[in-house]
Amino acid sequence: MLMCRDLAVIASDYIDGELSGRQSLSVKMHLMMCRDCRTFIGNLRATTDLMKGHSSGKLNEAFLQRVDERVAEALRTKTSPNKDK
Amino acid sequence: MAYQKAVREYSPGMLAVARFYLDHSSAEEVVQDCWVTVIDAIHKFEGRSGLKTWLHRIVANRCKNKLRASKREVATDFSEGLEPDLAERFNATGRWDLPPKLQFHDSADTLLENGALSDCLDKHLSALPETQRSALMLYEAHQHKSEEVCNILDVSASNLRVLLHRGRQKIFLMVEAFQETGEC
Ligand SMILES: [Zn+2]
Repeated sequence: MLMCRDLAVIASDYIDGELSGRQSLSVKMHLMMCRDCRTFIGNLRATTDLMKGHSSGKLNEAFLQRVDERVAEALRTKTSPNKDK
Repeated sequence: MAYQKAVREYSPGMLAVARFYLDHSSAEEVVQDCWVTVIDAIHKFEGRSGLKTWLHRIVANRCKNKLRASKREVATDFSEGLEPDLAERFNATGRWDLPPKLQFHDSADTLLENGALSDCLDKHLSALPETQRSALMLYEAHQHKSEEVCNILDVSASNLRVLLHRGRQKIFLMVEAFQETGEC
């Protein structure tokens, strides 16, 4: 019998469809009977949606500037074969 | 110029890859080096769907080489499935002791319109262990398939599952606390 704690361990696998048919079925059975776990799965799923919609990575300007400089430099010297360090 | 657009669009993902393997400054260095070497090829690739994966693979290979040269390894804990803060919310019989109280009823888009939550998410993402963050970024934000993420990060399928689940639990706990208290 699957307990709430067991379900929490495999919750991501369930959400991502990575469980076997039998495991997935026992999760579904548990969810039918357990409101707390329904809330948990719902919230964990909302969390993954949040991550999907989140465009993280504000790039720091110094980094971008450095890339631009180095690329510009590389384009200038493109005719000469690139040295590898 | 086309490459400047590409640099801005693709660098966050490339940095996410590099940070899996290397410290912050080495990671930036590798990504910079990458741009310099791929810049000729970028025009041919423009608009093609495989560009992101291609760039991520190049970054990963360079990082792996660098790690190999320095004989270091990526240290990761794949041992436990549950975050301690979540694990302690179950009683000895395996039932919820402290169940989730609130439903995150808002859709993700509505939640993200809340600038404070978005900032909080940024803060907690950057506090995650590098390995968990990189896995989450590639799998969720950049929507790579599992096999691609395993390939890029050089982890087994089961280890990727652990990284994703551990990272998600931390973010889950953060959103929960934020919804309850309104504070990050
Ligand atoms: Zn339950």
